[in-house]
Amino acid sequence: SKDSDHAVVVAVASRAVFEPGAGGGDGVYAEGVAFPLLQALQKVNERLLEENSAESLLFDIVLITTDSQQQQQSSQLISSTKHYGLEVSRFCFSTEEDFSESLLKNNVQLFLSTDRNEVSQTSQKGVLSALLDEYTASCPSEQLRVLLCGDAVIRPDTNPTPASRQAAQSFSARLGKMRQRFGMSDSPLSITLMTSCGGRDSCGGALQTLRSLGISADEAYCLAGAPQGPILSVLRPHFLLSDGFSGLED
Amino acid sequence: MSLNTGQSLTVSGQDLTKNGSSSSRASWEDARTVLKPSTPTRKPKPPKPENAITIAVSARVLFTMEKEQQIYEQQGMEDYIKYQVEHETEPFSPGPAFSFVKALEAVNAQLRELYPESEELFDVVLMTNNHANVGLRLINTINHHQLFIERFCMTGGNSPIGYLKAYHANLYLSADPIKVREALEEGIAAATMFTPEKMTEVSETQLRVAFDGDAVLFSDESERIYKAHGLDKFFEHEKAHENKPLDHGPLKCFLEALGKLQKKFYAKGQRMDCPIRTYLVTARSAASSGTRALKTLRSWGLEIDEALFLAGAPKGPMLEKIRPHIFFDDQMFHVEGAAEMGTVACHVPYGIAQRVTKRGIWDKETSSAPK
Repeated sequence: SKDSDHAVVVAVASRAVFEPGAGGGDGVYAEGVAFPLLQALQKVNERLLEENSAESLLFDIVLITTDSQQQQQSSQLISSTKHYGLEVSRFCFSTEEDFSESLLKNNVQLFLSTDRNEVSQTSQKGVLSALLDEYTASCPSEQLRVLLCGDAVIRPDTNPTPASRQAAQSFSARLGKMRQRFGMSDSPLSITLMTSCGGRDSCGGALQTLRSLGISADEAYCLAGAPQGPILSVLRPHFLLSDGFSGLED
Repeated sequence: MSLNTGQSLTVSGQDLTKNGSSSSRASWEDARTVLKPSTPTRKPKPPKPENAITIAVSARVLFTMEKEQQIYEQQGMEDYIKYQVEHETEPFSPGPAFSFVKALEAVNAQLRELYPESEELFDVVLMTNNHANVGLRLINTINHHQLFIERFCMTGGNSPIGYLKAYHANLYLSADPIKVREALEEGIAAATMFTPEKMTEVSETQLRVAFDGDAVLFSDESERIYKAHGLDKFFEHEKAHENKPLDHGPLKCFLEALGKLQKKFYAKGQRMDCPIRTYLVTARSAASSGTRALKTLRSWGLEIDEALFLAGAPKGPMLEKIRPHIFFDDQMFHVEGAAEMGTVACHVPYGIAQRVTKRGIWDKETSSAPK
């Protein structure tokens, strides 16, 4: 069971989890881009409970739908979830206006979506949000891989606000705490730091910032201006969090 | 600068030890005050990977991490990481690749002077299997030694191969023969670097790179003939095929890259005292089989500054005279012989020689610790 005080609430847009409109046969939706991500989140929970059956620091997964079409087929959404054995604790149906309010009301600590505009809006309202894209679909399902960006925003159109910076830090700190439940190797959760523009000292500063937040990164990459694409395609993170980790003080 | 022989590094006679308590992990305040950033003068920007000649080096060849390696092997990963973090402000001593990297930087400095706008430079990337927890110590060490390394990949145990490709690595140096073999299989020039028993002094201004011929610059096709049919057949074959270029070997492209930079110096009138010098050190003999080697190089449009045909004589003494920063050979017998006499020698685990080997080799190739 998930203690609401300690659970890390992650809301995923249902459109990212299931292909909108497409039928997977038997009135069930086809798998979407975020499918491996959901499986990876579940894997983390499984392993956390293996370590400690009374663990309360777990992911609490919420599927959120604004898509009116999907809302009409809410039962199909629920049955698809059951069909694939996905552990979703809540389904949230919201209108576009109330969307960010909905997230805040549900104490969502991270919102994931394939919709750039959606992510931008929720981010502005102070909800930590990350964009899922083509990389996400090809990520492993046995290990959750999170990328923290230590400098310059990788997605320039998601404007960081002081509120979302704070949200990024507190979410990551909880992730860091989860990571500590596992040993150095064979962890179902892997935290990677990447700095794109600055040199080694900016990466060093970011490592220190992470340490001050109680986060121990597994991997670190300092690109110093090298193109990100080729590195990201090897790294294959499920999602990126792009502010709050630079070594520079705000 | 003379090289340390593995003692802890000292600066003006004082040991660099962490301030304060001996056993507790540095709090983040301590780490912040003792992260020694590099001198904030205008550092040159690293070149784009597609323009540069990228040399990827592992932590264990760039620096000496013997003590830490022991801890890893005897006490495991957790203790190893703990030790590294506790000693975060103590820089590592230089390792076997250190003088090579310093020489690359010296060449870069000279290239920048002659061609200030060009990105055709060496770019050194630290490519290590280490966990990011060792990152601060590695960064501190790079700062301490004033190396120009701005790019690194700390893969936390994952394979470096994908990252080598992402950086278009022209050469990969590691202490781990398994990773080196993997890289070679993916078409990346790579070699396993060993630490010589003593390190002879090498030039600080001229980069010297020495290569074996067969199965390094050239394919192992002729070596196969020698192994299967003996020396006489080998000579016959080479003579008969003198004008047929040998197939290329794993390090050919690296020689090519060096040649490209050499030409830039020649264009500015620096042929006689070029800051890059290349050597062929081969067991072939000048009188016979050597001709095919030279003709092959010529057919590739490649030049080599000095070709030394040893006709089977040991390579150690010759290398000791040449003083290269690095020497590549496919046979451990020659690698060991070179290392015994103070040359930084690297093994290229390619070709037929890997199947017909001395017993000693397998003993060396068992470690798979973080690099």
